[in-house]
Amino acid sequence: MVSRSVTRKVTVLNPAGLHARPSLTVAQTVRRSNSKVEIRTPEQTVDAADILQLLSLGVTQGTELDFSATGPDAEEVLDALAALFADRFGL
Amino acid sequence: MLQRMELSGGKVVPNGDNGNIYVYVHPDEAERKYLVETLQLDEHTLASALDPDELARLEFEPDHAAVIFKRPRNYSKDDTFVFRVASVGLFLFTDRLVVVLSENITLFQGKQFTRITSLQEVALKIIFSSISHFVEHLRVISAVSDSLEEQINASMQNKYLLSLFSLEKSLVYYLNGINSNGKLIERFKNSAVKLKLTTESIEFIDDMIIENQQCYEQAATYSNILASMMDARVSIVSNNLNWLIKTLTIITIAIMLPSLVVSIFSMNVPFPGMKHPVTFWVILSMALVSIFSIRLVLRWKKW
Repeated sequence: MVSRSVTRKVTVLNPAGLHARPSLTVAQTVRRSNSKVEIRTPEQTVDAADILQLLSLGVTQGTELDFSATGPDAEEVLDALAALFADRFGL
Repeated sequence: MLQRMELSGGKVVPNGDNGNIYVYVHPDEAERKYLVETLQLDEHTLASALDPDELARLEFEPDHAAVIFKRPRNYSKDDTFVFRVASVGLFLFTDRLVVVLSENITLFQGKQFTRITSLQEVALKIIFSSISHFVEHLRVISAVSDSLEEQINASMQNKYLLSLFSLEKSLVYYLNGINSNGKLIERFKNSAVKLKLTTESIEFIDDMIIENQQCYEQAATYSNILASMMDARVSIVSNNLNWLIKTLTIITIAIMLPSLVVSIFSMNVPFPGMKHPVTFWVILSMALVSIFSIRLVLRWKKW
């Protein structure tokens, strides 16, 4: 399989920001994929598969996050993550 | 902050001016005054709705029922793996429902907030959503616990152990909150006539009791596992530290012996053969032999 590198910007729409439950959903989505995904904020860069790092982000509503994925299904995993953020994680 | 909502088409929708569902998020002094003086809410019960340490309960006032229940507080990064609980107040009148919250949360979303026909049902569904919220937070705690375990297995830092202690503390808060909600739901069922609940609502309460019990058992299981495994994790960290100290000690000894050999012959006094051309190489060989000797001893002792 060809390993690809994809980036995407996503805005956090949830009123409470990227809190506990959305963080778990993000980590689970990334772990199900075969790609390495990183989230970049102006302050730090974290591994999106690690819930400990995601919970330490403290992202609030309206923050724009830079996602970068590398792997055979990079495009698909970023599509799935973008859909989750757009749907406000169904909350 | 006040948001007014109403029941329309079986759903709770915003209605800025005429909604009969009042949602107060962290009410200010003027709003509290309105709630106490105009809507006749008990001041102590209102304070309880904003106090995270209050237990869940159901009280009957002359013109309304006051419900205090527990829900998980939104997690923020400053909480450092302590998941806390908050209180919510529901004040159920015949013609209106007042909801008092200490922080802004999305209340009326999800599939449970459909096909609602009465304010009593809205109140029940809000309590039910808090049970779902607890279950989801328990999943988060489980995932965090798994990640911390992975870190502890490969690390000697106390911070991961301390985070596990924080999780253990969180589970105690959750167990108290869920247990307290359980008592409230039972009280709700026993007061069905007084609250004018329909048969369907009573059946829904039975479902809530089962959901809450399962949630409690899940939290208890996580808490027991975390508590019983804590000693083993402390031992792993201690063992990792012992391995590091042992490695450092071996390196120190391996450096010390050749240094000793060289130091002895570096004393500023004459010694036999010091002018001989091969003496330097003999001393260097002795230093090297000392290194190999240490290696042999370590291997023989199986260190």
